[in-house]
Amino acid sequence: MSSSLIPNEQRRRPAGTELSLRWRSSRHARRLLTLGLAGLFIATIARRPEFAGVAAPALLLLAAGRGQRRPPTINVRVRPSARRAFEGELVALDVAAEGQGEYGVRWTLHPGEQIEPAGAAAADGPEARFTVSCERWGRRQIGTMDVVLRDRWRLAEGHLTVALPRLDCYPAPAQQRTTVVLTRLPNRLGEHPARTFGEGIEFAGVREYVPGDRQRSINWPASTRRGRLQVNTFAAERSQDVVLIADATSDVGEPGSSALDLALRGAAAAARVYTDARDRVGVITYQWGGASWLAPGLGRRQVYRIIDSMLASDTGWTRGESFRRLPRAALPPGALVVIFSPLLDQRFVEALRDMRERGFTMLVVDVLNAEPPVRRRMPSRGGLGGSSLPRGARGDGSPRSRGGLGGSSPPANTDRMARRIWRMEQEAIRFSLRELGIPVVHWDGAESLDLPLAGYTRRPLVASGSTGFR
Amino acid sequence: MSRSFGPLTIGPLTVGPVDAASAGVRVGAGLIGAGCVVWAALLPVHQGLADFALFLAIFGVAAGALRLALAGVPVPENSFLLPWPLRAWLGFLETLRKVPWEEGALIAVLWLEVLHPARPWHTAVLGAALIAYLLATHLAESGASPGVLRPQVRVLAIGAGLLALGAGAGMLPAAGPGAGSALLRLVAAGALIAAAGLVLPYVARHDAQDRG
Repeated sequence: MSSSLIPNEQRRRPAGTELSLRWRSSRHARRLLTLGLAGLFIATIARRPEFAGVAAPALLLLAAGRGQRRPPTINVRVRPSARRAFEGELVALDVAAEGQGEYGVRWTLHPGEQIEPAGAAAADGPEARFTVSCERWGRRQIGTMDVVLRDRWRLAEGHLTVALPRLDCYPAPAQQRTTVVLTRLPNRLGEHPARTFGEGIEFAGVREYVPGDRQRSINWPASTRRGRLQVNTFAAERSQDVVLIADATSDVGEPGSSALDLALRGAAAAARVYTDARDRVGVITYQWGGASWLAPGLGRRQVYRIIDSMLASDTGWTRGESFRRLPRAALPPGALVVIFSPLLDQRFVEALRDMRERGFTMLVVDVLNAEPPVRRRMPSRGGLGGSSLPRGARGDGSPRSRGGLGGSSPPANTDRMARRIWRMEQEAIRFSLRELGIPVVHWDGAESLDLPLAGYTRRPLVASGSTGFR
Repeated sequence: MSRSFGPLTIGPLTVGPVDAASAGVRVGAGLIGAGCVVWAALLPVHQGLADFALFLAIFGVAAGALRLALAGVPVPENSFLLPWPLRAWLGFLETLRKVPWEEGALIAVLWLEVLHPARPWHTAVLGAALIAYLLATHLAESGASPGVLRPQVRVLAIGAGLLALGAGAGMLPAAGPGAGSALLRLVAAGALIAAAGLVLPYVARHDAQDRG
């Protein structure tokens, strides 16, 4: 039979998997058997026929339900509506069974880690649809599906378990609409107005007409004033290379809004907004001195490649290329480098300084929103003296931080001092980067990325070093 | 028409909305079970560990009803790093769901009934109530509608007839003195059950044809 003769419905239907069933008696059948056997036993022992009558309905029900043929296998089809989804996005899961005969089918979904069913987790019928959503990014197993076949009398049950496919859960991109543009852009057609004249649409100035200029670009008011023909000039429109660096070394903070979560969400948002602006975007995922990278590219598909690249390297301990010896394809000269990092790894900070000295224009988005946890301590004999600091408390002069509640014990002072030193170190790191000309902005993950970047998106960011671009 | 009662919160776990119909079936199962215990315990006896049997019956029915009431409570996939009250609660739920409480209650109720002197019609009513208890428990735990019992109506009718015949056989005066007469009646009841079992496939087939 040629494929053109196959009906569309059959052609679209994917082949299922033939799975064997494990048959056993239901709880209902076991209870009936208990009643029947107990009644017969008592009737025999006590020689009271009324107990045989008590056993009769249960035994008859059991006998009547035994006549049906049990299928040894059934064909199960599982089809998710998507293999990729963003955090919180709903994914439908269609399941269907064939070959079960007169038996009723019950589906029970057991969601995997970080997978949340959006509706009912159990359904009856040969076909069913479940809806799930992914709570946190990562490569997730949707879970398992328990299939139970029941006969008409509900005395026998056939069980099987189906492993559901994997779902690539992408980090939900943060909100970002504006882009940071460099002052020097490569000579490549794009959408950012450059400082050179060209064939763009943004007005750049007026000059005297020379033969060959388009007639439509003549500025008649200026020509009338000066007495000679004047033409409008426009800014050239060019694109830029953007390299996103996601620091995957430290995952600190509350799960769901940790530094790594924010780094991936921010990088996903940046990838989307820069590719929408026709820029070439690449990504480097930094991990403990090593890095995995994806060369800059164009288009919507590049966004998914970038997120896939970041997800593939989320283990935190894998080593790719050395971060200091990245090839030119991964880090093109003159590219805008946007870094999402909590700046906790000293080697990473040193690498940033090194990149700056090599002439890259960088912008750091600080995603650190956590502090070292406070040690828990039992209360001292004095009562309040040994109480520990609450989580997130700052030594900013509040009564507790000043030891105002009945005095502080020496360990509490040590903790407070340690936290203060840690904060000063973090501030020093950021200060040193700013001194080198690397802007550092803080992002808390809740607000739009446009807000912390506002100071750098209103006007072009001055490109440093000699890149050869104009 | 069914009515929703909204989510039920038990400790840190939340149960989904409880359907009024399924809640009614669960309550009904518990009430029928309680009725069976009361019926079997009428006219108290004080022999053969009757008090212990009564305790077992009450405990089994109560635990079975509690199992049905907590059937919708979800259990987390991973129980690592949970606080001990929650772990104790999960252990309690697991025990409640694994132990066959209804079977224990059935045996205890029959034990209680057999301790009484012969009262065939009383026993027949108890048998009907026990079957009703099992069917109600089955409906409550499977969430099925009572319509799923429709194919079993004929078999249940035959079973009810046999139940009545058994009670009638129990009420017949003994043909003669001694244990042989009682044994004869028992054999007659067994023969009735066997005959019904032989007829049953034809009844079930006829019922399947009607359904088809």
